[in-house]
Amino acid sequence: MVEITVDGKKITVPHGINLIEAARLAGGFIPHYCYHSKLSVAGNCRMCLVEIEKVPKLQVACNTTVRDGMVFYTNNDRVKRAREQVLEFILVNHPLDCPVCDQAGECKLQEFYMQYDLRESRFRESKSHKPKVVDLGPRVVLDMERCILCTRCVRFCREIAKSDELCVSERGSRNKLTTYPGKALENAYSTNVVDICPVGALTSKDFRFKRRVWFLKKEKSICPGCARGCNIEIHHHDNKIFRLVPRTNEEVNQCWMCDEGRDTYKPVLAQNRLRSPMGFEAGQRTQFSSTEIMPRIQNALSGIAGIDGKSIVGIGSAQATNEDNYALKKFLEITFKSKNLLYHKNESDHPTHDNFLICADKNPNTNGIEALDFVKINTNKKFQAFFILGNLPEEAIKKIALEKKRVVIMLATHDDEDSKWPDFVIPTTTFAESTGTFMNIQRRVQKISPALISPGESRSAWEFFSDLSTYFGKENPIYHSAEAVFQDIVEEHLCYQGLTYKSLGETGKVCP
Amino acid sequence: METILTPNFNLPDSHTLPVYEKTGGYKTLHKLLKMRPDEVIEEVKKSGLRGRGGAGFGTGLKWSFVPKDPPGPRYLCVNADEGEPGTFKDRALLEKDPHRLIEGSVMCAYAIGAAVGYIYIRGEFDLPYRRIEAALQEAYQKGYLGKNILGSPFSFDLYTHQGAGAYICGEETALLNSIEGKRGEPRIKPPFPAISGLFGAPTVINNVETLSALPYIIEKGAEAYASIGTPKSTGTKLFSVSGPVKKPGVYEVPLGYPLRKFLDEYAGGLMEGKILKAVIPGGSSVPVLTAQEVEEVNLDYESLQEHGSMLGSGGMIVIPDDFCMVHALEILAHFYSHESCGQCSPCREGTAWIYKILKRLEKGQGTPEDLDLLIDISNGMAGQTICVLSDALAMPVKSFLAKFKNEFEEHISLGYCPHRASFRTSGAPTYLSSDQLLWSPRFQSL
Amino acid sequence: MILKFSKNSKTKIDEILERYPNKQAATLPVLFIAQREFGHLSREAMEAVAKILETSYAHVYGVATFYTLYNKKPVGKYHVQICGNLSCSIMGGENIQEYLKKKLKLNFGETTQDGKFTLSSVECLASCGTGPAMQINEAYYEKLTPEKVDEILNSLK
Repeated sequence: MVEITVDGKKITVPHGINLIEAARLAGGFIPHYCYHSKLSVAGNCRMCLVEIEKVPKLQVACNTTVRDGMVFYTNNDRVKRAREQVLEFILVNHPLDCPVCDQAGECKLQEFYMQYDLRESRFRESKSHKPKVVDLGPRVVLDMERCILCTRCVRFCREIAKSDELCVSERGSRNKLTTYPGKALENAYSTNVVDICPVGALTSKDFRFKRRVWFLKKEKSICPGCARGCNIEIHHHDNKIFRLVPRTNEEVNQCWMCDEGRDTYKPVLAQNRLRSPMGFEAGQRTQFSSTEIMPRIQNALSGIAGIDGKSIVGIGSAQATNEDNYALKKFLEITFKSKNLLYHKNESDHPTHDNFLICADKNPNTNGIEALDFVKINTNKKFQAFFILGNLPEEAIKKIALEKKRVVIMLATHDDEDSKWPDFVIPTTTFAESTGTFMNIQRRVQKISPALISPGESRSAWEFFSDLSTYFGKENPIYHSAEAVFQDIVEEHLCYQGLTYKSLGETGKVCP
Repeated sequence: METILTPNFNLPDSHTLPVYEKTGGYKTLHKLLKMRPDEVIEEVKKSGLRGRGGAGFGTGLKWSFVPKDPPGPRYLCVNADEGEPGTFKDRALLEKDPHRLIEGSVMCAYAIGAAVGYIYIRGEFDLPYRRIEAALQEAYQKGYLGKNILGSPFSFDLYTHQGAGAYICGEETALLNSIEGKRGEPRIKPPFPAISGLFGAPTVINNVETLSALPYIIEKGAEAYASIGTPKSTGTKLFSVSGPVKKPGVYEVPLGYPLRKFLDEYAGGLMEGKILKAVIPGGSSVPVLTAQEVEEVNLDYESLQEHGSMLGSGGMIVIPDDFCMVHALEILAHFYSHESCGQCSPCREGTAWIYKILKRLEKGQGTPEDLDLLIDISNGMAGQTICVLSDALAMPVKSFLAKFKNEFEEHISLGYCPHRASFRTSGAPTYLSSDQLLWSPRFQSL
Repeated sequence: MILKFSKNSKTKIDEILERYPNKQAATLPVLFIAQREFGHLSREAMEAVAKILETSYAHVYGVATFYTLYNKKPVGKYHVQICGNLSCSIMGGENIQEYLKKKLKLNFGETTQDGKFTLSSVECLASCGTGPAMQINEAYYEKLTPEKVDEILNSLK
């Protein structure tokens, strides 16, 4: 540890950090564009100039390491003047097209201009023109006139994505950010360059012109795309999701996420979301209300002669939360004394994966469902009644011999081919509408929170089972919150010992 | 006067090994190899030799920053990327006496413990490149380079690395990047090259002229060298003089030599009919001197600094009375804007902005506010970037405006350049009316 | 089209690679070799450089576009590069620039129809004491006058 003085305030900080981080620890902020804590130091924007005692020239805070006894100023007149000058330079050729710029509202040019400059431009020459609406790749668009050449994106590709796809070409004021001519920016993490672009130069094709960022509400959640469980924020408005962006969790995803994960919100918004329970009436698939469907399920189950715990199976899902899977397990256990717990997961023959974030297991909760003692579908046992979480194709449960006379109750999110066949289909929530937890590949339990109100009568599986159990009159726990379900999980499963929603915090906790 | 750098300049075939050897070349290597490396560094420190590339940093001191026993290699880089307008002294050394440079390079490499060196030579230089390549071959053949030099345990390989057209590569860390096969963008410091330079290893970068002074220093001793020049500016320096003088060229003079005397005695005075207006004494980036100041200043680091200028590279540009100072500055602004690597916002934007203003001013379309703005832009650039290229334009802008403001004002009040007719052949100038001027107040697009 | 280096060039590249501790360091000299062999640095030529040096296309492109001596477009048989800097200008370099433009009927950056001449304005050639100066391909021509320019251009076949 070293003792430094920041703007007159003495503070002890860890050895080896730079002045931007040190100022943060002192409760201050040094504005910067090119510096990013996860990337090498470029020192080119010159926005973070500070005055260090006994050093004649102003120094960039990003490339200066704290020394014991160092005294520096982040906000004196000299530093303020330098910042104004740097901002003026950065803005001289900027198109000032905020009305049509997607970055407006989260643009560091706007922010720092208001905070540190707020002067009339003295630039009266013609602005230099550079390429606009450049299609950099499948997901990213470049406006070169807005680019301030901080090179964060270039460094990201080289250092993090390990795919040297971007470069600065030419020289001086003709400098341009570009891919190699004819090549696309298409690494699996390409949209991160949009997140780290401090200005409106790099925008996401998916998000462009969809919504002003200041309307967006933000919900902390977990990406359901794979077993990594990248921490994310769901940005939504009007009960619609507009984008998923990574949220920092040093242990899981640092501050990145993959492009595939960013698309996981799209099914949530699909037109064919199930809105009401479905059953069969005189051989015809028919829509019911929740209150109508419950007694019908009860009737169907009691209509099977000799039904008991052994002939009923619950098929959980590695896509569903611990809470939903546990509620299924509990319902079968108490109502039918059934211990038949299987689970299914999304699988493909050649799943994408790498050594960074992308896992071959495309399910967010495989570890979680296994911790709840479900076993993967592979049995020759015959069952008469099925409770299934998730849109599971009939093919998938044919691995289990189907009795001719059987009842299948499926909780599904989408009205598609896979949800047409069961006797009963109950609309349920996606990750974006649920509260609950996933256990990721590192056995880290992480919490998701609902960003949207789920469509129609859909509700969480735990709510459904809690409700259904009342029709069977057994001593099922009636849950009023996912948190209550989680408390029961913790009590019952040793590996969760001591965890609460509160203790999970925003970044989760690893189970032994 | 005893010459240190140029004694062979007038000998026929001075660039060849036999001529160099005949004049005592490479003999001092025997003496060198008997010295300890730290003795060599000490000797160079005592000589007072300062970097001749422009910054004037103590050469021995620079070497002493290299760690003594680092785990990996150490490198020497020879800066032969001469490109500062007005400067052509290294080109002369490379063409006329390449062996002196090679011998000096061996000396430096021995002192700092480098086994490999690269001569970074600007890509435009063809004859100098061929001369240095030929000289390297000769030196290898005679055992002055390569394995076990002159039978000693010391081995040193020296290669050329051609630049590809970028003034900025003369900046020592840009030069390192360029040798590493990258864009010639200066590196942010720290780390300094002496600690982490070429390929991350401790590196010394020295100018051609600096290294060429070493054979003399090692042969005759630090005191002999230090006895030349002034106490703080020791030795001799090459000055390249261009512009309307009778004998433009490269001359070696002891530091401290009066500038006026230099112009008259060496450069032969101004051409007939030309009147001295100004001199840029040390390459285009240093502050300009007025004709009056030329009378007072001596050619050494201190005297020039006292007069608000710098010795720089010793590239002297003589500007006659009939050449437009606004246009001169416009040319320099174009140069620095063209050569800015473009990393740092103040330099990338500032150099181009200054050029745009000067272009307009030179056409007579300026306003009095432009002059204040030029100063302000320069202040925002100087000292606020990774390297000093932005200072290299800021300094001339500020000095031109301080010393020749009348010419700028004249352009504004006349609405045209009064010198244009005598120097430009592009016909009668056409002027934009004021409403054709591009005016872009902030938030214009809102 | 995929461009391949000739055997000669490959030998030269191998020689150059020995000078450096890694392949990327040879980017500048190998770009020169490519330019000599393929005429100018087309996309295909830059790709060949990237492949032989096992570096990224983007790296090679960033480097090739940074330095002015790499021609990204074809240039004429004779590349006339006239200095436009201060010392040459003081000595009348701008007259020579205009003279060359008129004589070759070219603006800077243009090439004659027959592909013989490309005219460029370049920065200081370190030929300030002998200005106005120009470089045609590798050779320097100094103390230029219109008459001398005529003589030089006429001598180029």
